[in-house]
Amino acid sequence: MIRFVKKTSLLPLLALLVLVACSTQEKATPNATTPTESKHITLLFNVQSNTIDPHTDTNYTAVRAGIAETLVKIDNDLKLQPAIAESWTSEDGQHWTFKIRDDLTFHNGESVDAAAVQDSLEHAQKQNPSVKNALHIRELKSDGQQLTITTDQPFPELPSYLVHPNTAIIAEASTSQAPIGTGPFLLTSFSPGSELNVARYAHYWGGAVKLDTATMVFNEDANARHLAIQASSAHIIFRPPIESMEQLSADSSITLDSLTSLRTHQLLYNMNNSDLQKEEVRRAFDALIDRNSITSSMMSGQATAAAGPFLAEAPFSPAYTKKTFDPEAARQSFQAAGYELENGMISSAGKPLAFTLLTYQSRAELPLIAQLLQANASELGIQLDIRQVDNIDEYLAINDDWDMALYSMITAPRGDASYFLNAAYTPEGALNYGGYQEPELTSIITKLNRTIVEEDRYALAKEAVSYIDEHYLNSFIIHPNNVVVISKQVKNWVTSKSEYYFLTKDLDIE
Amino acid sequence: MLRSIVRKLLELLLFILLLSFISFCLLKLLPGDPVRSILRVDDVAVSNVQIEAMRTELGLNESLIVQYGIWLRQMLQLNLGDSYITSRPVITEFIEKLPYTLMLTLGSLLVMLIIAIPFGTLSAIYANRWIDKLSRLFSLLGSAMPSFWLGLLLIQLFAVKLQILPPMGEGSILHLIIPSLTLGIAMSAVYVRMIRASLIESAGQDFVASARARGIHPIRLFIFHTFRHSLVPLVTILSESIGSLLGGTVVIEVLFAYPGLGQWVVNAITARDYPVIQGYTLLMSCFVISINMAVEVSYRWINPQIARRGKLKS
Repeated sequence: MIRFVKKTSLLPLLALLVLVACSTQEKATPNATTPTESKHITLLFNVQSNTIDPHTDTNYTAVRAGIAETLVKIDNDLKLQPAIAESWTSEDGQHWTFKIRDDLTFHNGESVDAAAVQDSLEHAQKQNPSVKNALHIRELKSDGQQLTITTDQPFPELPSYLVHPNTAIIAEASTSQAPIGTGPFLLTSFSPGSELNVARYAHYWGGAVKLDTATMVFNEDANARHLAIQASSAHIIFRPPIESMEQLSADSSITLDSLTSLRTHQLLYNMNNSDLQKEEVRRAFDALIDRNSITSSMMSGQATAAAGPFLAEAPFSPAYTKKTFDPEAARQSFQAAGYELENGMISSAGKPLAFTLLTYQSRAELPLIAQLLQANASELGIQLDIRQVDNIDEYLAINDDWDMALYSMITAPRGDASYFLNAAYTPEGALNYGGYQEPELTSIITKLNRTIVEEDRYALAKEAVSYIDEHYLNSFIIHPNNVVVISKQVKNWVTSKSEYYFLTKDLDIE
Repeated sequence: MLRSIVRKLLELLLFILLLSFISFCLLKLLPGDPVRSILRVDDVAVSNVQIEAMRTELGLNESLIVQYGIWLRQMLQLNLGDSYITSRPVITEFIEKLPYTLMLTLGSLLVMLIIAIPFGTLSAIYANRWIDKLSRLFSLLGSAMPSFWLGLLLIQLFAVKLQILPPMGEGSILHLIIPSLTLGIAMSAVYVRMIRASLIESAGQDFVASARARGIHPIRLFIFHTFRHSLVPLVTILSESIGSLLGGTVVIEVLFAYPGLGQWVVNAITARDYPVIQGYTLLMSCFVISINMAVEVSYRWINPQIARRGKLKS
């Protein structure tokens, strides 16, 4: 008996780790900050950053962490707002004058004038070819607080491009791992790929900064982020695991903020496919997309059905045509396109229609959407061969052996429709994977590119989007939500639609 | 002796050259284009003309041999180039990441040794007794359990429930404990069985029986004869483990927001950041070769027979 007890006594120890770890327990009160301590917030973001140089960092950490700022900002209504530049004007869209605030200082105490801004923009263009390509700057001139920019062609969207965090203004003394910006926080330490620490900048031009310090940790594992807020090691986490939503909603110590993002999941059609060249066929596939099931079941309610490329409330969105899941309407559209209908099944010259549908895994819901579309199409006798690829952009750019592709992108990252329209629909656009050659649409986009007055630009963008909508050039499926979990201790958190601004001067903790 | 060292070094140089050429060719054969990442086509409007111009500027339209020649010339000037994505020197980024990877390697090896040596030794001494059965169960569980899951369980236990360790990040020795435990436990599952098998085999050798007959104290016999002899296969496998740990442990780095080499190179591969991938391959191959050489030297100490054999041959 004793031997038996000895034999088995260590087994429970082995199970202890699993049992204790899996047990449920009342969540401890967050202890990261007490009223007597300094005000500190830890934020967990889901994308890793290996550099903090605002001019090259693809994760925009310096701007997100409130270290550096851009000339122009974008608000949650997708409107441009003054930031380092208090105003800007242009008569012809080619010669621009930006008035730099005169109460600005860099974190090293140097005052910010137009010459400093010019140096910074020149550095950004030198360091980052994409900035150079995007800004189309021919000449920069500075005089006191007045910066003059001449572009190599009329470029009305210049202010919108100056929202881009890679154009952030930093002091000449900055290094790639220690940017000196003008934001509410100054960098105290940065560990590439892991975390950064910032402290309040006492002379911030925008007013008093409420937090003393903050830490931003990069963690790409959703479960680990969820555990961190449970462990009270973080006050704000981005994108918790979708399966934890119910548990998080029931937790009284946190707030779940879910905001429709600027991202749009869409279905691309390859215009080299003779069937898909027919508008009725594209219309039919659109009617086979069950957007309500996708938002409610697959996305657990954390998405909004999309009717067009941009959010319906964007100032450049037209009144989209209503999109409903309607297999019967799809049948009728196929018939209208000249296909045969027998026993509810669609065929072409007696053979079933077959298409190749591409998807990829880095957005977990896309393969599921592909399966749903495949099931809906099979009800009409249409075969969809789903193929998963590693890097969708590379695949679409090089190959032409696909018919449809599920794709996802941020369509209006800086409050302007022209980026998406130019990239995705002009014949030379780098994202024109479908091979669209629509002279009427190209002409509207060209006109948009030359138009300066904001209201006129909105009208032209609406016209272009209406054309895309009416001709079903793409099918737009959903706008996934940005989900942020915030401890109730945190005050004044605003989830930024653009995801460019996280740590702000107003952010506070109790 | 000097001739032998020079010959060895020349062999190494040739090997590194060959490796760098093969990895360069494989990289270029992979589908993908760094220019799309450099120009951020998913973020700013870019035309195909601009993409082509950038490709020409970077020399990506040159033949494979020309591109390799350019890289080799740079490398011979001790310049591994700049990252396409961050525009920072590859060597600077590598040096930033290396200490973290070295610390994690040391931490996990320490955990592994602390678990594997006592468990493996006791399993060999008390073969088929309860401790041996327990260690088998441990090995089975440890080998079967995915490291990310073990990591999550450890975070849940030490950070969420007990709140005694930070769940992620870096900055102190405390941050290293959970990642080291995760990797060390997973590794020790294999090493426990290996130590056991190696010790049992060594214990059956003639020289051990002879030493025992000479009346050598059992502890001395175990440490200086049986255990020492059993180290040869272990050190071989250990060198492979160290090489693999130094190469980076992506899953662990992602889970614990740990800034090691693994995720750095995976990101580079995703973005087709050729200078980073080539630099990493070259530097890591130097590391792995150094470890293998150190292991070869250690054989001579662990098992003097090997050294004697070498002398007889020469």
